[in-house]
Amino acid sequence: MSADLFSREIVKDALVAVGFEMFDAMIRTSMSPIIYETTDFAVGVTDAVGNLLAQGNGVAAFLATLDTAVQSTLVHFPNATDLSPGDVIITNIPYEGGGTHLSDVVILVPVFHSGHLIAWTVNKAHWTEVGGAQAGSVSTEATEIYQEGLQFPFVKLYERDVINKSLVSLIRANVRLPESTIGDMHAGVAAARVGARRVLEITDKYGIDNVLAAMSSLLDYGERMTRDELARLPAGTYEAEDIVESDGCGNGPFVIKVKVTISADKLVADFTGTDGPAAGPINCSLTGLITGARCVFKAVTNPELPANGGCFRLLEVICPPGTLISARSPAPVSLYYEPLIAAMDVMWKALAPAVPDRLPAGHQRSVNATFVAGLHPDSGDLFVLGEPLVGGWGASAARDGDNGQFCCGNGETFNIPTELFESRYGLRVEQYAFHDEDGGAGRHRGGKGVVLDYRVTADEVFLTYATSRSQSPPWGLNGAQSGSLNSAKIFRNGGAVEKHEMCTRLRIVKGELIRLTTATGGGFGNPRGRPREFVMRDLKNGFITIEQARRDYGFSP
Amino acid sequence: MSAYIRAATDVGGTFTDLVFYAVDPVTGRCGVVRTAKVDTTPPRFEQGVMAALKKGGVQARDLAFFAHGSTVVINAITERKGAKVGLITTRGFRDVLEIARGNRPDLFNFDFRKPAPFVERHLRAEVTERCNYKGEIETAAVLEDLPAIIAGFRAEGVQAIAVCFLHAYLNCTNEAMVAQEVRRLWPEVSVVASHELSREWREYERTSTAVLSAYVHPISKLYIESLERELSGFGFRNTPYMMLSNGGIATVAAAKANPVAMIESGPASGIYAAAYLGQQLGEDNLIVLDIGGTTAKCALVESGEVKIVTEYHVEKTRRTPGYPIQTAVSEIVEIGNGGGSIAWVDAGGKLHVGPQSAGAVPGPVAYGRGGTSPTTTDANLFLGRIDPKNFAGGEIQPDWNAVRAAFEELGRLLGVTATEAARGVVRIANANMTNALRLVSTNKGHDPRDFALIAFGGGGPMHAVALAEELNVPKVIVPVNSAVFSAWGMLLTDLRRDLIQTHLLSLGALAGPIISEQFRGMETETAGKFTEDGIDTTATKVTWEHQLDLRYQGQEHTVKVPIDCGPAGVDIRSIAENFHAAHERRYTYRLPNAIQIVNFHLVARIAVAKPDLPRKTPTGRPLSDTIRARRLVDFDAHGIHEATIYDGEKMEPGMEFFGPAVIQEPVVTLVVAPRHRVTVDEFGSYHVHLSHAGTA
Repeated sequence: MSADLFSREIVKDALVAVGFEMFDAMIRTSMSPIIYETTDFAVGVTDAVGNLLAQGNGVAAFLATLDTAVQSTLVHFPNATDLSPGDVIITNIPYEGGGTHLSDVVILVPVFHSGHLIAWTVNKAHWTEVGGAQAGSVSTEATEIYQEGLQFPFVKLYERDVINKSLVSLIRANVRLPESTIGDMHAGVAAARVGARRVLEITDKYGIDNVLAAMSSLLDYGERMTRDELARLPAGTYEAEDIVESDGCGNGPFVIKVKVTISADKLVADFTGTDGPAAGPINCSLTGLITGARCVFKAVTNPELPANGGCFRLLEVICPPGTLISARSPAPVSLYYEPLIAAMDVMWKALAPAVPDRLPAGHQRSVNATFVAGLHPDSGDLFVLGEPLVGGWGASAARDGDNGQFCCGNGETFNIPTELFESRYGLRVEQYAFHDEDGGAGRHRGGKGVVLDYRVTADEVFLTYATSRSQSPPWGLNGAQSGSLNSAKIFRNGGAVEKHEMCTRLRIVKGELIRLTTATGGGFGNPRGRPREFVMRDLKNGFITIEQARRDYGFSP
Repeated sequence: MSAYIRAATDVGGTFTDLVFYAVDPVTGRCGVVRTAKVDTTPPRFEQGVMAALKKGGVQARDLAFFAHGSTVVINAITERKGAKVGLITTRGFRDVLEIARGNRPDLFNFDFRKPAPFVERHLRAEVTERCNYKGEIETAAVLEDLPAIIAGFRAEGVQAIAVCFLHAYLNCTNEAMVAQEVRRLWPEVSVVASHELSREWREYERTSTAVLSAYVHPISKLYIESLERELSGFGFRNTPYMMLSNGGIATVAAAKANPVAMIESGPASGIYAAAYLGQQLGEDNLIVLDIGGTTAKCALVESGEVKIVTEYHVEKTRRTPGYPIQTAVSEIVEIGNGGGSIAWVDAGGKLHVGPQSAGAVPGPVAYGRGGTSPTTTDANLFLGRIDPKNFAGGEIQPDWNAVRAAFEELGRLLGVTATEAARGVVRIANANMTNALRLVSTNKGHDPRDFALIAFGGGGPMHAVALAEELNVPKVIVPVNSAVFSAWGMLLTDLRRDLIQTHLLSLGALAGPIISEQFRGMETETAGKFTEDGIDTTATKVTWEHQLDLRYQGQEHTVKVPIDCGPAGVDIRSIAENFHAAHERRYTYRLPNAIQIVNFHLVARIAVAKPDLPRKTPTGRPLSDTIRARRLVDFDAHGIHEATIYDGEKMEPGMEFFGPAVIQEPVVTLVVAPRHRVTVDEFGSYHVHLSHAGTA
């Protein structure tokens, strides 16, 4: 008996390690920077019916994209004879399991052992290009999914180890960077197969019964650990609402609402009452919403435990179909991450008063992504910059907020060093620093947002930019101030200054300055309660001005 | 003329190890390697070093060569005992140090805080200056900014100053000018400029390197000088050498100028010793495993080469990004699993081992010093793998009742017997180490069947055979002196300097002369550094190795490729082909894209005389004379067997036997499960040929 107990433990650990191994394989085999630098992908293993066993993540916001992809695949291939060893399935349909936006493509490998389907290995990665109206398949102006790229509706990329050449030719003909896109495809298949091979090795070594027992025991363990944590949370009903300001097509604001109910054995997040779909591309699929809800659920239960499906048995997400965050075809979704992050933030805001040791006040709540294209002044080559930007996180009951971090939807995301940046792009960085705009004052201070200045050195460049929290600042807690706002400003030659929250291909010429500003996070507690020595230290460090010290903190020198 | 002694000391967290041997100056033959172990003596580590020399009976007049590795740098950082640092940087960029890279490895922790910067914001000063990405100075540094900055630093009690400017890796004029002016204005303060430590791009990483170097600069200088004083008081007439993280040694002058280069010196020397031994044994591909009291360290030697990286982080875990240091370090994966790692059960009923460790106090339960949480060492003892009569070198009588009680309690929590619980602890510990070994091998695209596993450190031999079974490694090597292997490795190293220069360059047909010119310039600079260290490079032969960090245009990750860069120039086509092949090995594919050079990496070595490894002479003693006893040993998956217990100290070259066996040395235990074959080589190292490899 005991030998089985520890074998099972070791098989469980080995399955979790498969997630990391696939993660490394994906980085090793990928040819595109968005995967091996930004780690905008997730890999993982599920059991035969799509219960998540292990996942390796680069970003938080892929947490529900692997298991639901398997579940939907099984709907498309319902009979035992529909799938065979050597098959590889591909999907990027936003409105079904695994879907976010078209750029995020899911590759699935069914794992067979002695004729039985025992597991799936899956990866979902942001491909550089899937076609559509705009280069990079991201737009702030799309009004239908068809403008956003190719759709792969749960089709077989390989059948019994034979590649579907027609499909590959079709993809190749419809994207702008076919080498890169096909390279991304092969990397995805390679990573999924590495995982499949390891699962088979483990099964060969420990036997199929031990492995199947370990899988179900792993899920039960996740549930047990989560139940234990859930029991520590105060039961009750918590509500919040907030807005997403704009859809890029002149519409908005859009309201997101949630009612979270915590009981001893369940957490229900009900988003009923959320506004309908947007005309522009800020719609989010149900998969995206479930991902967001899972992230917050994980944050309030056991953030350190490797995620598995058992952890999420105690989470229920309710949302009527066809809202801003449960999009139906053909709603455009390329900026899905902004409403997804907003939905996370609303749930977070509802729960923050109840879970003060794990949830701080509101943060910048936007990826603050900028895309800049132009010709490099030295080489004349086309460059395309795509970069998220760090901002301020909220203060908590125990501490000041963190200064300059990527938003909650990111994770192992890295900024681009100025020294690399300037050599690659026709832009020069003039400052990358914390700002001292008003906002975030509290007994604990909100973390600082940043200001990043790009001087255009190419003859002309084109800016695409999308943010939220451009009008409604990050929320404070317990009588603290809310934070500040996200924005882009263009300082034109000749002195004019423009402010933007969403723009597509805005032309900016040599000598002009792009100033990106991210929000300072919300504070915690009445600023008048901040100890005087902390206020003096903030003054000394230039985190606050003397005027703010006087006005917000009642400081007299 | 009397024999002369070559000695090395390795200061570890718990013990200070001394390894030494005499070399006959006439015949060049070396004597038996001898060792001494004493307690480490923080904060005056040099006292432990002197105590070890005394305990080993080393006479000052015989001491010809002394190499030293210490944890003084890493300890000063992790214990936050360094200097108060002020940073001077480019205007507009003082927050780079605090913004860092913005990553949050702890994905679902929304109350995350990144590690606090080592320099608070008001001590991060900005100077008007600018160099562009082509290395052209656009704005000369405004030195008039400095007096006010320095006055501020003085008022705040700053003890060390770091200077780091944008693009100084390409053109250090502004940085050097400011550092010089600061030294002129304030001669007593420690000043460190980033270009003196790193010529690689990425301003956050380089700034962090300069800051941490400044942070440890005063304390390591003080330490090295105390050591020099103690040694010279002892009668040592030469100057000592310091072990670096790049696997080489440096003069004390060089070490004082760039203290962060010593940050991982202990593990580095063990890995290089493994590579050197592998070379002697004809084993070019090694998976290196060093298990100590609190951690296990894994590394890979491929084709005799230790992989050097410059992406080192202090305090990095799966949950926090830590602090980067751009310094040449051998690539290591370290996990919190050693002999002292504690076994515990979580709320979900799952057994874990580590990363918490019982340390030296209270230590394992068996020490009887009040520890109640069972450790991996306790489990090995409980299962009969460690001889109770020989526990901790025979210096401790294990507290058997306490050990039994601890495993009974652990078993109660898990619903199993005490023995099953102990077995579980060993299995979980092995699983943790297997996963770490996979990170350096299979996850990097290597097939473990092409490697031998070389195991050392106090716990390495105990677990190595089980790990090799798990990974399908065909052979395990346990070197002689495996318990003091790191210190021993210092006697096998050369003087070494690594200079890594970022210089973007297309690997086109015309790149040859530029590559040669770049390397010649770097050679001249490095030779100059050796001269500054007091080494006459006209009289001493310097060996140069040239490597390029190359990538496909448009990609970020690079692959290191050694090149031939002699006076005859370079062969671009063979460099390109070697890159394609290396890239395919590492990343599984090759591309038709243009190739770009990112870094030029120059390795300069000055060989230090290394006598041949001492060979053990067989006396013809029969194997039966080495048998101490037979006892029941629990080999986990292989079952419980009566194993033969051998006295390792009596083993001789040529001996051969099969498991189930346990080989005992005073502080090392090699556990060999049934059917595996053990041989002893000419140096006295053990080779375990695993039965699954078909060579048993």
